[in-house]
Amino acid sequence: MSLKREVTISPTTRIEGHGKVTIRLDEEGNVSDAQFFATEIRGFDYFLRGMDAERLPFIISRICGVCSTAHVLASVKTIENICRTEITETATKLRELLSMGQIITNHSLVFFFLTLPDFWFSTTEDASRRNMFQIIREKPEVGRKAMTLRNFGVRILDVIGKREVHILSAIPGGIISPLKERERTALLQRAGDACAVAREALATGKELFEKNWEEFRKAGDHKTSYMAMTEDDALEFYDGQIRIINSEGEKLSQFASQEYMEHVEEKSAGWTYAKFAYLKNSESSDGIVQVGPTARMNINKKTATEFADEELKEFKTKFGRIAHATLLFDYARLIDLMYACEKAKELLEDETIMRADTRVKITPKGGRGVGVVEAPRGTLAHEYTLTEDGRLESMKLIIPTQVNNAAINLNVKEAAKKFIQKGEIKPGLLNRVEMVIRAYDPCIKCATRQANSELTVEVENSRGDVVKTFT
Amino acid sequence: MKVSIVSLTCCAGCVSSLLNAGEALLDVLSDDFEIVYSPTFIDLKEVPNVDLAIVEGGVRTEEDEKLIKEVRAKSRIIVALGMCATHGGITSLGNVLSLKKILEKEHSLILEANKLPELKDLMYPICNFVDVDYYVPGCPPMPLLMIHTLKSIATGKPPVRHQSVVCTECHRKIVPAKLDKLYGIYEKEADHELCLVSQGFVCLGSLTRDGCGAPCPRADFTCFGCRGPPDSLLYRSRDMYALLVKVISARTGIGEEKVKEELYRNPFIFHTFIFSRFERFKARERVI
Repeated sequence: MSLKREVTISPTTRIEGHGKVTIRLDEEGNVSDAQFFATEIRGFDYFLRGMDAERLPFIISRICGVCSTAHVLASVKTIENICRTEITETATKLRELLSMGQIITNHSLVFFFLTLPDFWFSTTEDASRRNMFQIIREKPEVGRKAMTLRNFGVRILDVIGKREVHILSAIPGGIISPLKERERTALLQRAGDACAVAREALATGKELFEKNWEEFRKAGDHKTSYMAMTEDDALEFYDGQIRIINSEGEKLSQFASQEYMEHVEEKSAGWTYAKFAYLKNSESSDGIVQVGPTARMNINKKTATEFADEELKEFKTKFGRIAHATLLFDYARLIDLMYACEKAKELLEDETIMRADTRVKITPKGGRGVGVVEAPRGTLAHEYTLTEDGRLESMKLIIPTQVNNAAINLNVKEAAKKFIQKGEIKPGLLNRVEMVIRAYDPCIKCATRQANSELTVEVENSRGDVVKTFT
Repeated sequence: MKVSIVSLTCCAGCVSSLLNAGEALLDVLSDDFEIVYSPTFIDLKEVPNVDLAIVEGGVRTEEDEKLIKEVRAKSRIIVALGMCATHGGITSLGNVLSLKKILEKEHSLILEANKLPELKDLMYPICNFVDVDYYVPGCPPMPLLMIHTLKSIATGKPPVRHQSVVCTECHRKIVPAKLDKLYGIYEKEADHELCLVSQGFVCLGSLTRDGCGAPCPRADFTCFGCRGPPDSLLYRSRDMYALLVKVISARTGIGEEKVKEELYRNPFIFHTFIFSRFERFKARERVI
């Protein structure tokens, strides 16, 4: 009897956006292929054409409600790049703080609400119970801690960003208004507790991680290149150079963020609404590169804050200078979170952050420009071309999930192979495939915002050979 | 009561905003709600029967349509959360051109592969396909607005409705001015006390439903209409334009013809979130 069939996981759960996984089994019931699909699409790249540049940042933020702040920051940086505007030091500090608020809200959401249930419950746990709401029911204090941590980020976005989701205050030319003393003190009051919870989350995460490490490391460790922002070898989220290393840790290139598009290119595939992004040919042989928490740990040697720095060093001692195991994303994310809390506290303690010079006048110009930030899920790049009267002519965004898309698919296949053999699928194991996807924290909302018919579409046959190319 | 959280085509900002309610959400969870279905948070793959379904996102694909119909059949009450669900949201700007046509090349491949849900011709709010019990517009709605609404539903009370405009929640003073042009948001710094329209900014507060607490004008930023039209303008979008021209002209002293000319320059200004077609949006008393 042939065991050839297709296994589908739909919808993939505890990730942001709509996706599904198809795993194909061959005659012997072993995995022959596995694909992770995005099943939604919206088309931002098209319908924003013609829009006034001044409206772009807060409209573009609607691409993703989870990492909206990163999009706003990338967007204002792009417009400033086109208009050749230098913002003030005070505005830079406030934007850095917004960026930390973004990391804290996102990473605490991902850790507590999306991935923690996988570590918390045993693999045989009933799927209907394997979620954060169940954890809150059993241990309400975990829920309160999660909210304490997340609320620190939310308050930063509310006070400085002026709205918690889809912030307003970051505008081309700086930040709309200065931070007031009472706002700063109120935020600082939350910072201490948030740092304490972050340390606790890190300790819990590490403990759960170590307990399951032998099993987790099986879940895929495809070796690829890595890319992240860096500032003198230190972790950086708002402004710095972009560095690419190969799987051995050798530096392939390092460049100013405005040159991003010369190093990375997009491709689309006919079978998913999400696009792929690869390194251009000169960088590495297969062009597959990963971004996100693990990439940040692999690229950087240190962090500018004390406790996160210790954790980064410990991470490197445990997993080597270049870590590859997919599920380490979850661990590395906690180090990001620790850093963001410490850094936010540090920024708030600095009284110069309240200075009044938050805005410079911007002179609208036409032309092309690029803006890059380190978003929660990795390096995020916006590129716009504006007309002389300041309207959007075209845009290109390269989103972390697009960059990771190739690696996600490879690791899904690898994980499926290890967990499904001779046609036998144990119920807990499909979640393992999802765990691999979840580790990347893919944001399908971001990766499917667009439609762009100018791109090349490749059709592959079952062997993966390209049989037809549409341009 | 048993609750499901359903996401159609959207940015997930509404559910993020709901989580931003923090402790208040934890209280609702411990007192009133048991969330049993939510692909974002829970591993259940099948839509269950529930008392209340909270729906974010609109209908962009055939799959969205199938899902919302199934959710309707299995839920006693449906709350449409956020602009995508209530009015089509920002994605409905894609309705100015045929996204489907643009995608045709890729789309035909996708259809061949028969793996991805087919796109609908336009982006629609969910009320075009199913009856909606409560609409909570906003991009996203403020956390406390959601919590108050959900809490009322849980306790069987009608939720407090907001029928007026953002200006009623804005602290700024309306003083007629004598200006000769309109200004972009970044062209000059706004005075903190004066009405933004009086200063020449195109603020949509006078056309937009209240209930948000006017966070944007408070931050020296113009309202851009993310709560959609108030009761009085719900079915009369042409009046909206005429009203805006009148308001701007009266508060800035610029002639109506010139205001029209300047507004014409930016076609996205007031349909940013509502560029869709309503078919069954006939339930004024259900908009929160």
